[in-house]
Amino acid sequence: MDLNFTKEQENFQIEVRSFLSDNLEPQVIEKVKNGIPITKEDSERWHQKLNEKGWLAGTWPKQYGGQEWDVVEKFIFEEECGSAGAPRIVPFGVGMLAPVLMKFGSQEQRDYWLPRMLTGEDWWCQGYSEPGSGSDLASLKTSAVRDGDHYIVNGQKTWTTFAQHANMIFCLVRTSNEGKPQEGISFILIDMNSPGIEVRPIITLDGSHEVNEIFFSEVKVPAKNLVGEENKGWTYAKYLLTHERTGNANVAVSKRKIQKLKKLADDANKNGQPLSNDPMFASRLAQIEIDLQNLEITNLRTLASVENGEAPGAESSIIKILGSEIEQDIDSLTRKSLGKRAFVNEPDALSAGYNGAEVFPKAAAYASGKYFNHRKKSIYAGSNEIQKNIISKLMLNL
Amino acid sequence: MDFKPSPERQILFDTLKKYFENEYSLSDRNIAAHSDLGYSKKAWEAMRDLGILESLIDPELDGFGGTALDISTVFEALGRGLVVEPFLEVGILAAKVLSKGNDVQKSLVKKILKNECLPILAHSETDTEYSKSFVETKLSVEADGSYKISGAKRMLKHVTEATHFLVTCRNTGDASSEEGISIACIPTDREGIKIDSFATIDGGRVSDLTFTNVSISSEELVGELGMSYSIVSHAIDTGILAICSEALGIMERIKELTLEYLKTRKQFGVPIGKFQAIQHRMAQLLVEIEQARSSVINATIYFDDETEREKTISAAKFSIGKIGTLVAEESIQLHGGMGMTWEYDLGHYAKRLVLIDHEFGDEDFHLQKYISL
Repeated sequence: MDLNFTKEQENFQIEVRSFLSDNLEPQVIEKVKNGIPITKEDSERWHQKLNEKGWLAGTWPKQYGGQEWDVVEKFIFEEECGSAGAPRIVPFGVGMLAPVLMKFGSQEQRDYWLPRMLTGEDWWCQGYSEPGSGSDLASLKTSAVRDGDHYIVNGQKTWTTFAQHANMIFCLVRTSNEGKPQEGISFILIDMNSPGIEVRPIITLDGSHEVNEIFFSEVKVPAKNLVGEENKGWTYAKYLLTHERTGNANVAVSKRKIQKLKKLADDANKNGQPLSNDPMFASRLAQIEIDLQNLEITNLRTLASVENGEAPGAESSIIKILGSEIEQDIDSLTRKSLGKRAFVNEPDALSAGYNGAEVFPKAAAYASGKYFNHRKKSIYAGSNEIQKNIISKLMLNL
Repeated sequence: MDFKPSPERQILFDTLKKYFENEYSLSDRNIAAHSDLGYSKKAWEAMRDLGILESLIDPELDGFGGTALDISTVFEALGRGLVVEPFLEVGILAAKVLSKGNDVQKSLVKKILKNECLPILAHSETDTEYSKSFVETKLSVEADGSYKISGAKRMLKHVTEATHFLVTCRNTGDASSEEGISIACIPTDREGIKIDSFATIDGGRVSDLTFTNVSISSEELVGELGMSYSIVSHAIDTGILAICSEALGIMERIKELTLEYLKTRKQFGVPIGKFQAIQHRMAQLLVEIEQARSSVINATIYFDDETEREKTISAAKFSIGKIGTLVAEESIQLHGGMGMTWEYDLGHYAKRLVLIDHEFGDEDFHLQKYISL
């Protein structure tokens, strides 16, 4: 058993750390660490910095501008970004569509779309879920009918994250109703500025705008935007989902949030005593800390097996369940730690013209809303129930 | 990064696993475990021949192992076999204490390996609960410089054939102070020792000991007078690592038994493992068992780090206590009536797994300890 990084990996960690400290903008760190939404411009500036360094798409092959990072290097980069308070790289282009294009796209598609992801010319979003097709994704109905050198797309997508920022969407569409539902799905790239597309915001329970509905009405899409073969889209979609589910442990982010929670608990009072002295609170906090330590090892064990040539398989489902639940536990305890103050939605108060003293430290201002917002973590990227189906099928063979 | 055990340890694990599968039948084990002795002398000797004890003991005392990783590997295998023989009591607790003693006491470790002695640590007391430092048994210094011990020790396993007791006692300090603890290594037939034995639920017999003015000489102290807390503490921490690993082996075996049952037991015309309500419970157990394994790996990594050892050991014991109880209760539920029977293996594994939480501190005790550290 050897749990140490190699010398090269250690050096890489140092390099990432110093890059982050030289290049992250303090105002962005402040937002990320306090759970304040970052703007599209914040993301774009950060993407550009990373791209100049060649780290926006570190896992890509060198010929497309990547570094060919292995799983451990990717892990080091993401953990360092997590603890430094860097914005998350918007994953839809570089992290999700790109691997599909590299494996299944045409050379022409790769040469055209991949560089545009790096330069930020395209902002991608993901058109998978539909109102009637969530966990049962293969039942999707949005149709694409071939008409000369175009497809005509009709239907509706939903839960589309950052569609309000995007100029491109990759979509799963139905091109055949023959055979099993999985066998009639195709993977296609659609310009969001095409006539017939309408984006409507979905405001989530915390009042924030991340996700959207998209309506397609007689939308003309060039046939050259089909990825791979017609009716083979399900295979590509599953390939993409395995990429989506890796890197869900979020250990560094959770550790950072626990430190913040400890600080809050030192400053908050309960019955005239710091909350951190309350045995019930201390017990809840310690249990989360232990769960997180265990997850850190579980995650490293998965990485080590990938590094040693074993496929990640359903282990990524274990990590997804644990990572999401532990982060939710932290958010939940942070909300509890606010006591009466959890009622206040300070961003609302500020935008409504409140100009008195800060009600409480910035770190607490968004905590209540974040708790509600982060209920999404056990729902998205394949709900945790779907992850258990995968474990049952692939690991337990039930 | 590499989490695989070394090839030598993997071979050791595989050898033991195979041995228990082929040679250590659970029905024989159960008869022995609930007999007057509480284990099988025949099995004890056969397993000693495999070198299990040597793998727990440092090379300088004639063993060939003794590191945290060796102990963890061996005890996971012992857990799979539900071995009731006194490897924990003799190979870990007594051997770790004696290895800190004088030459005569160290030589007892070598004698353990030759099957010439069977020492037992006598530490826990009625009011101790799970504390490593709570000792009320009194050590008094006589006029001639010799000592006498008076007090009671409770719930000591595998005393029946013991040759020596390693008795923790106190000559100064209040009952839970780390200062003032001594250990006396004395033969079990010394005058003034009374032994009462009982059967246990999970197999193996336990005894309560009463010491009334038991004489000891200064050469019989392990370590210096009143300074032996760190010896007891380290031995018990090693014991915790061992039974956490044992629990992992038990959980893996329970997982196998339960999965096999879910695939073969049919109701409503299909194997019950086809029902999603069952699948999700089983998937949750798998996730929890992986976390339990990670906690033990963490404790193993930090075992020789004086500043981190107790904290990671408490985190592991907490995780094992919480997850072990869950696994035991869920696996019985998933087996339905079969899980309730004496005849079927599962219940015996489940009992041991639950009672491991009652050894050296349960999940609440170790959570509090973790918070305090």
